[in-house]
Amino acid sequence: MSLEQVTEAGRPATDDEAMLVRVQREDFSIDEELRRVRARSKRIGGIAIFLGTARDRSKGKDVDGITFEHYEGMAQKKLREIRERALKDFGAIELLILHRYGEIGIGDNIVLIIAGAEHRAEAFQACKWAIDELKQITPIWKLEHTTEGEVWVEEHP
Amino acid sequence: MVTVRLFGMTKMLAGNQGTLSLALPEGGRVKDLVAVIDAAYPKIGELLQKKKVLVSINQDIAHEDLAVRDGDEVALLPPFAGGSEECRTGLPAAKPERIHNES
Repeated sequence: MSLEQVTEAGRPATDDEAMLVRVQREDFSIDEELRRVRARSKRIGGIAIFLGTARDRSKGKDVDGITFEHYEGMAQKKLREIRERALKDFGAIELLILHRYGEIGIGDNIVLIIAGAEHRAEAFQACKWAIDELKQITPIWKLEHTTEGEVWVEEHP
Repeated sequence: MVTVRLFGMTKMLAGNQGTLSLALPEGGRVKDLVAVIDAAYPKIGELLQKKKVLVSINQDIAHEDLAVRDGDEVALLPPFAGGSEECRTGLPAAKPERIHNES
């Protein structure tokens, strides 16, 4: 990650902060990312993790693979906004968000959110809010490869 | 000319083109851009009219009256679908004031 990324507040993101918000093709290690969050503060006493994975069934159709597309730049910007709001408004001490793009096999990791807070209540709430918000405001699109062809998915009602 | 980036279903509806180069009148606004797209790609135009596809300028969602300027980064954004769940969690909305202090 480069030092060129800038936070919403206009501050340059440090390398550490850049690693906490990523959109990447490759898989991630939950242990490694958990270590990254824990290392941010010794005041963290509760950590909530959300891991989204690729399932083999969607709306009654068998799915044998998924491709994620994202808007480079805007996707990262929206995820940084989510992290900053989780820290400011939801009592999280640290929040990590990773989302993969490209072709994803069934059962593979898609998205990871790790929320660290002093206590479990803030950790759960920040984690839940962040994944819900991600789905609402982040320009990421999902193409499901089904037995009946490829379908761009509209997740929201 | 305005270059418009396409993603997901809008890219598919434009014959898998990742960008469109469109002629927009001087001082054109987002709604004028929508009209130009509607004329050339009616299926995308319909999604824009229904607000199922949104226009972004410089990575922010743009109102239809916003002017499109030279050098703006313009994109058409189909409905987002990040993550792996089918919908929001359905749990009560998280409110900071409901937090208790025991861990």
